[in-house]
Formats: sequence, C-alpha cells, structure tokens
Amino acid sequence: MWKQIGGREAGQIRPNSFSNRVKSNRVSSLQLSNYKDIVSPHRGSINSLQVDLTEGRYLLSGASDASVAVYDVQRATDYEGGGLIAKHKSIVVVDKQHEQGHKYAVSSAIWYPIDTGLFITGSYDHYVKVWDTNSTQVVMNFKMPGKVYRTAMSSLATSHMLIAAGTEDVQVRLCDIASGAFSHTLSGHRDGIMTVEWSTSSEWVLVTGGCDGAIRFWDIRRAGCFRVLDQSQSQLGRRPPLLERSALNKVSTSKSLSVGQNLSAKSRPQQRKSTNGNGVKQSPIGRIPAKASVRQRLHPGMLSGQDRATAHYGAVTGLKVTDDGMYLLSAGSDSRIRLWDVQSGCNTLVNFETVRLQTSKAIQIATGQDPALVFVPCMTAVKAFDVWSGKTRMAFRGHYEYVNCCWFSSQDQELYTGGSDRKILVWSPSRLISDESDGESMKDQDNWSD
Amino acid sequence: MEEERGKVRALIDMATNSTEREVDPRLLKAIKSVVRYSDPELRLAAQTLMDLMKRDHSQVRYLTLLIIDELFMRSKLFRTLVIENLDQLLSLSVGFRRNLPLPAPPAIATILRSKAIEFLEKWNASFGVHYRQIRLGFDYLKNTLRFQFPNLQANAARIQQERREREIKTKEILRNKFEILGQNLSTIKQEIQSTIDEIGECLDIIRAKEENMVLAPLDDDDFEEFRSSELRQIRLDSLKEGEKVHENNDNTVVFDALRELYKLLMTKHMGSVQESISVLIRVEVPDNRLRDSMLKELIDIRNRLLSVKKKCEESGCALATNVKEEEEEDFWEEGKIGPTEKGSSSTPIKPKQKLQNLAVASTSGEIKNEQSDNNELCKTDSNSPRSKLLSEAPVVEWGSFLGNWGLDRDFMANQRGLELDNHWGRVDYDAVIPAEKIAELNLQATFYKEEPVEIQPCRAPLRKGGLCQRRDLKVCPFHGPIIPRDDEGNPINQKNPSSDENPIQKNSLIDDETSLDLGSDLSEHLSEQLAKQAIQNVRDREKEEGKKRKIDKQSLNRAKLAKVREHNEAVLRNAALVSTSRSEAVGEDIEVTNGKKSSTRNKKKTLTSMLRNKVTTKDRLAQRLLNTRARGATTRQLTMGEEDTYRENFPNQW
Repeated sequence: MWKQIGGREAGQIRPNSFSNRVKSNRVSSLQLSNYKDIVSPHRGSINSLQVDLTEGRYLLSGASDASVAVYDVQRATDYEGGGLIAKHKSIVVVDKQHEQGHKYAVSSAIWYPIDTGLFITGSYDHYVKVWDTNSTQVVMNFKMPGKVYRTAMSSLATSHMLIAAGTEDVQVRLCDIASGAFSHTLSGHRDGIMTVEWSTSSEWVLVTGGCDGAIRFWDIRRAGCFRVLDQSQSQLGRRPPLLERSALNKVSTSKSLSVGQNLSAKSRPQQRKSTNGNGVKQSPIGRIPAKASVRQRLHPGMLSGQDRATAHYGAVTGLKVTDDGMYLLSAGSDSRIRLWDVQSGCNTLVNFETVRLQTSKAIQIATGQDPALVFVPCMTAVKAFDVWSGKTRMAFRGHYEYVNCCWFSSQDQELYTGGSDRKILVWSPSRLISDESDGESMKDQDNWSD
Repeated sequence: MEEERGKVRALIDMATNSTEREVDPRLLKAIKSVVRYSDPELRLAAQTLMDLMKRDHSQVRYLTLLIIDELFMRSKLFRTLVIENLDQLLSLSVGFRRNLPLPAPPAIATILRSKAIEFLEKWNASFGVHYRQIRLGFDYLKNTLRFQFPNLQANAARIQQERREREIKTKEILRNKFEILGQNLSTIKQEIQSTIDEIGECLDIIRAKEENMVLAPLDDDDFEEFRSSELRQIRLDSLKEGEKVHENNDNTVVFDALRELYKLLMTKHMGSVQESISVLIRVEVPDNRLRDSMLKELIDIRNRLLSVKKKCEESGCALATNVKEEEEEDFWEEGKIGPTEKGSSSTPIKPKQKLQNLAVASTSGEIKNEQSDNNELCKTDSNSPRSKLLSEAPVVEWGSFLGNWGLDRDFMANQRGLELDNHWGRVDYDAVIPAEKIAELNLQATFYKEEPVEIQPCRAPLRKGGLCQRRDLKVCPFHGPIIPRDDEGNPINQKNPSSDENPIQKNSLIDDETSLDLGSDLSEHLSEQLAKQAIQNVRDREKEEGKKRKIDKQSLNRAKLAKVREHNEAVLRNAALVSTSRSEAVGEDIEVTNGKKSSTRNKKKTLTSMLRNKVTTKDRLAQRLLNTRARGATTRQLTMGEEDTYRENFPNQW
C-alpha cells in the first residue's frame, strides 16, 4: 500500500493503475460487512437490487411482497452497538398500502439511468410503473400482456428513453417514457422473456434472454433480431484470432458498408456464422459472391437453422454485459454460466465452476471491472468468478435462503446481495487497520479461563 | 508437530465418542489447554469439529456442539473460523433445512436443537455486535423461521430490572413516610401523652374509690392468721384479685372509659409507634442524626406505653381479659351440654344393652366382666345405643324444618320474634297454624337414589410392576374378564378357568369362597364341584387329544413340505454359490458377526447402540430375512449327509 503510494508520488505509477490496484486490493478482501446493516422493510424475497448510476449512493430494492424501497448506502440513519453498527433504514418505501403500489411481487426495480428522480418497477401484476422518487407517485403506467420478469433501461441512451420489458409474453416490448406508449414490440422468442439487458457499447442494441434458452440481439432501429447466440458456436480464448478480429471490427462498425470487399477468405466463415447464420448449410469457404444477397435476405427474419439456436439448455435466467460492452455473461437454468464474445457471437467456452444455480427465478448477475469478476448468485451463496478463467475467487455465504440478486458498486467496491430470506447484505472490503483498533471493542477477545 | 496435530483430533474424537450428556471435563480441559497455545491446533480443532458436526449421529453432534461452544466463548480465532460456516453449523445443529433433518436418536436430536438455539442466543448476546453472521443467523431463526428462543438473558435482565424498580419504589415510599413522620411526630406525641394522662386519671379515680371502699382492717387480721409464706402468697394474690375486680354500678363509667382508652392505646398508638420505628430502621436518609434522635424518642414512647399498658392490666380493666372470659363461658356451656345429653340417652337403654352383651358373650363363648365389657362397647361404639339409634334413624335432607323436629304443636303465624310494623293493615298476632298443617307442609319428597356400586379394580399384574387399577364392570380391555385375584395379581380360582363361561359354576365358586368357614356347606359344595371338575377334565383331555392328533398330522405334513422346499432351495443356492467362488464365504462371515452380536448385546452402551432402537418384531423379521443366507449355509452343511436318503425317497426332486 505504502509502496504504491510512494510510487504514485514519484510518478512511477499512473493514476489510473494506482486506483485500479487499490480497488482490486479492496475487492479481493470483500467480506460480510459488520458495520453496515441495511434494514430491509421487505416481507418477501428480494428480487432486484440496484445502486443508482449517477451518485452511487441510493440503493433500490424490489421484493416479492410488492414493495420497493430506497436506501441511502452512504449515510446511515442510526447507529447501534455503541456506534459500531451503522443501520441504513429505507428512506422511501412503496408497498401494497400505497394506493398506486403493485399488487403482486415486484420482479424488477431499476433507476432511471441519468437521474435518481425516477425509478421504474416491473411486477407480476402485469404492470410496469414509472415512479417519481421524491413524491413516490406513479408518473406513468404500462400495462403488459403478462407478468413482467425484468425491465431495463440503457445507461448510454441519449436519443431515446425506452424501457425494455421482458414478460411472460413472447414479445419484448419497449415502453417509451416520453410518449407513454409502446414504441417497439420485438418478436422472435418462442417463450417468455426472463431477462433483458441493454448493450453498454451501443445505445441501440438490446439483448434478451428467454425461457426458450435463446439469447437474442436486437437493433432497435431495425426490424427483427440480428443475432441469436448459439452455444455450439464457440471460440477458444478471449478474442477471436487477430486477423479475423480486425476484419470483424470493420464489419461490425460499418454495417452499411458492402461487406464483401473487405473480407479476406479467412474471416468470412466466422462472420457468416455469427452475424448471418445460414452457415450450417453453406460450406465455410468460397462463397464470396453470394454474401451480400444472403445477408440482406437473412437479416430481418433469419433463417430457421440460425433462428432456433439456443444459448442454454432450459431458460436463460440472467444476462449481464460487461462494462466495456465487449462480452456478455449469461446464466441459464442448466446451471451454466457462459461468456460470450459480443462481437463474434461465440461462446468462449470458459468453464465457470458453478455448482448449481436457481432455476425457477430470474437471477441478477453483477460484474466488477478490475479485477474482472462476475458475481453470480449460486443458491444460498454468491460466488465471484474470474471472468476469463472461470475460477472461483470468492464465495459469499451469509444468506439463509436462495440469493436472487446482487449488485456490485464499483465506486465503493461494495457488493449488495438480496435473497429470499428478506435480507439485503452488504459485503465490503475490510476496514483499514486504524479503524479496526478503536472500533473493535475490548469485548471481542480471547477469553481463556484456564 | 505431527504428533501434536494428532493430539487435538484424538482428544476431540475421544471426547465426542461417548454416550454421556456432558463432555468429559478432563478431556475438555485437555482440549482447551492444547488449543490455547497453538493456533494451528485451533484451526485443526475447528476443522475437526466441523467434520464431526456432519456425522450422522445426534449424540456426536451434540457433544461436538458443546465443545464448539466452549471454544467459541473463549477464542477469537475460533470464532472467526466457525463464523465463516455458521449457516452450515446452524443447519447441522438446529436442522432447520427440510432436506437436512437432524439424524437418528430423536430424543437427543431435540436436546441438540434446543441447545443449539440456546447457544446461538448466548453467542448473539455476547458477540453479536462483532459478527454480522451471528446476528443474521439469530434473526433468521427468530424472525423468519419463528424458532422459540429461551430468551434467558432478556428474562434475567427483566427480572433484575423489576426488582430494582421495586426497591426504588419502596425506598421512595419509606422516605415519604419518614418525612410525614417528621412532621407528625409532635402531634402523635401529644396525642399519646393525652391518652396516657387520661388513663392515669382514670386509674387514679378507680384507686381512690377502691381505697375508700377497701376493707383495710381485714388485712391486718389476715396477716396474722396466715403464717406460712405460701399461704400468705395465696392470700395476697386473692387480695389483689379482690382489689382488681371491683366493678360496680358506681365506677362502670370510669371503667368503660378506661377500657376505651386502653383499646385506643393498644390498637392505634402502639401500632403507629411500632410502624414508625420500623420505618426509621429501614429508611435510608443522608442525615442520620435526626433519624437517630427520632428513633430514641419513639422507643421511649413505646416503653412508656408498655408500662401504662401493664398498669392497666394490673388494674384489671384490660379489655382482652374480658373477651377471654366470655369465650371461656362459651366453652363451659358447650361442655355442659355434652354430658347431659349422654346421660339422658344412655340411661334408659342400659338394661337392653346388658341383655345384648350377654348374648354376645354366650355366642363367643367368653365370660367377661360386665363392666369392662360395657366400657369396651362404649369405646368401640359397635353396639352402643347411639349407633343403634343412628342405624334406625331415617336419613333426611337438611332443612329448616329440622329445627322443630318432633314438636307436635301449633305455630303462631305472626310472631317471629321481631317486632315489625306492618304496613298492610292490622295484624292478628294470635293467628295460629295448626300442627297437622305444619306436618303437611314439612312433608318431604324423597327421591330414589341409586346405590353407588363399588367397581372392583382389575388387579391384573402389569409388566412394569404393580397391579392394573382399571375399574371395569366385567371385562378389562387389557386383561380380560375381571376375576378375583390375590395380592400379587394371580387369579385366585386359577384351577378352573372355564368358570367364566359357566355362570352357575362361578356363583358356586364364589359362594364356596365366602362360606369357607361353614363346614357342612363346604363339604357338600366341594364334592359337587369335584365331580364337575372331573367330568370337565375328562372331556377336556379327550378334546385335546383329538386336537393334538390333528395338529400332529398337520405339522407332520407341513414339516415334510418344508423339508422338500428347503431341500429344493438348498440345491438352487448351492448351484448359485458354486458359480461364484467369492460369495461362498459370505454366509459364514455373516454368521460369525451374528454370533458376536448376540454376545455383545449385553455390553456397554455405545454410539451405535443408541442409534439402534429397541429391537422390535419388525427388526427381528428383517434380521431373520437377512440371515436366511447365513442359516442356509449352516443347514447346507448339516443336511449334506441326509441328502442322499432324500434323493432316494423323493426321486421327483433334485
């Protein structure tokens, strides 16, 4: 620590890497926080957790008893145990007593990405509601055709205010806050949609995972889905080979370009498989002329072989795009976690050492940037895996029932987990030594009588 | 190091391998002392203990939990180690997960659970602040699963609190009383003083009067007469006595006043003084001098009161003595009634009694002194006139009419002993209700009441000792028909079990029993019964023989069939076993262990023996089924020789 600070002082370490080192140090020492208690007012299992993206200060939780609560994770409401334990009580609660509250379980509660003045909840009572945080009143109401499993808003969006809602229904609906109507109805899934996620690299790209085991990519400016992830399409390692990648980059960045001209023979199969499909029938090499036409023909309603591809056996229960937007992590009811290269659309074949995942419910995965970790609720524990190797780095045991959701706040390097035991637990880096010495009372010591 | 490592593990293993309710204190001490000085040992201990908690035996888990608690309360490192897997520990000790119930001996499992909950509460109370996990576990068990925690600490704290509050309250009250006393002391003193003065005056008056009236000259004469000191003493006493009670019409008023004052003194003033003294003793005041001075004063007052009281009593006016006298009178009256009644009732019947006595004497063949006999009879009350009369007397429900039982006279209707103004006009005071009318009015309706029948207890001997105390009319559901039994519960008329079916015979039997002392009857009955018995016996034997023959035939048949079957099975088994050489040993092996088991059955209680329930019939069946193979192996060897003959006899079998 001191060495690093010295290095930083001398200018040997760049500010970025310094902060990254400190962060990764802290992250590696995550443990159940003893001094930070979130007092959950929920009487049902916690289904959704999110810390706001603007300040990193307000935690939003949605629970099965149709209640939503907001906590201030920075400032405690009161202290206990001689100031040792900080209690964070909810500052806003919306429950069934609220006249506009949800009737059934809240499956998803998210912040409006650019402001904490609004939050959005989706519930099993078929409604997606937009709330004003300050007045706790419903500003907007969207009636869905079925139970809402997950809602999402793009954190990058500058040109749209769309809530993507995954429901029991096979169609993904995009609710426009600006107009109060559905702006898109995306059809393609063959079963309910468990999870939706916006890309973190493009504001137009939406990823959805359904109970049919498919993960679909949608470009909301165009009709239909443009990619279905196939678990059998795989690449080894983090990146596609260098040559292909450069070609691919060009292709993906300039989609409108006529494709054929830039393509080398090597890159083609990769690209065809991933973006255009139809690779099953065609031999991978030597079909250059057909390319453009195939692409045009295929994109709107890709041909059946590609269209039926599945990413998981069983339902896709969780999706998470990494912060850089290059990779997608998915969890399925087959108890697998897969890491997908977004650009190539390939399964990277990282073997995550999960034991078992909850199958009946959507789970919320969280990622940490440095070091690249993915936090996955595995039954009663949350496990942190290394994204690239799939090795278990940490296991967070504290819940007494299934964990449904987790959220990693990269600002504070804190992990929040919510489970069916109605608790929200905070996992934070161990405190600095100076804090510990005076905070730890004399009571917790060895006490040998003989 | 390696030995050391083994040490704590061995110790823990030893400590948990016991059927006791407690961990052996010496072993526990050894574990603690080993673990105390070395962290790796502690880690190893934690690991071992967690492993032991996973054992499929509640007793092991229970003892392990006890050790864990011991270490948990002492070592911080151990706490941190255990805390990491607290949920696991809890699920193993409390068994709250449905898919992981507590293992076998259910009795200990419940103890284990309650102990675990108790420990969790304790841990939460002492270390909850430092470990979120403990709080979480406690909260989960308490608020989500709604386990009932013993709440020991909270209860103790509450009781303490209550006691403290009570003490504070009493102190407050005492202080208030003290203050009030401080204000009122002077008035109380005045009051007491005035009463005492009044009493003194009254006494003076009485004494003055007495002196006037007292026969002074008599004294001198008497003194001369009675020389001996004892007599003089008696004389003096009597004189004093004479001095005392001189209440007559003149001084009644004075005496009354004196009595009143005395009463006042005793009840009010004495009480208040005593109370205030006790208050002063108990109260805690910063300034002790005032209290002490007050206390002194009060004690003085009390002493004075006591002296005045004594004086009063000496003067013979005391109220208490008066009351006593009245009581004595009552006693005396009662006593007087008793003997007169006795005398009146006993005198007229005496001759009759004598006659009876004579009769009794003649029958018993004893000649006794009449007097003694009479006394005896009076004592025993068996034949006394009173009991005789009682036996004759009708039993009547209690009622007001009993007051004039047997009075055969008219009643004055309007004279009730109370002079009441009648608002409803004139009253005829001479109105009379005739005696017949009264009798008619007092006519009692009688109701038939069923005689309570005493149901005999079954008195069959119970397996756990004692006799069956069930009371059924005829048949006890557990022990069959109720028959007379002796003190050990054996049926008395065991010789004739068939008597149950034959009511006449039974009756005769009972008769027989009751009239044992009647010689002639007995012999008659006996011969009759013997004859019956003989006939019965003969018949029974015949029947039995017939049955036996039948059974024999059947069993013979069955045995033959069984033999055939066994033989067939043996051949089949042989064939099967021969095909695999290894399995041949199995049978013998089982047999050996089986034999051993029977021998160890009476050995010391072990952990496995705790797991094994009492051997039920089901178990026995299972055992037998499992052992058919073993038995088969032995029988096979034994019957090897016989096989040849069978083969000859039954060619249609193998």
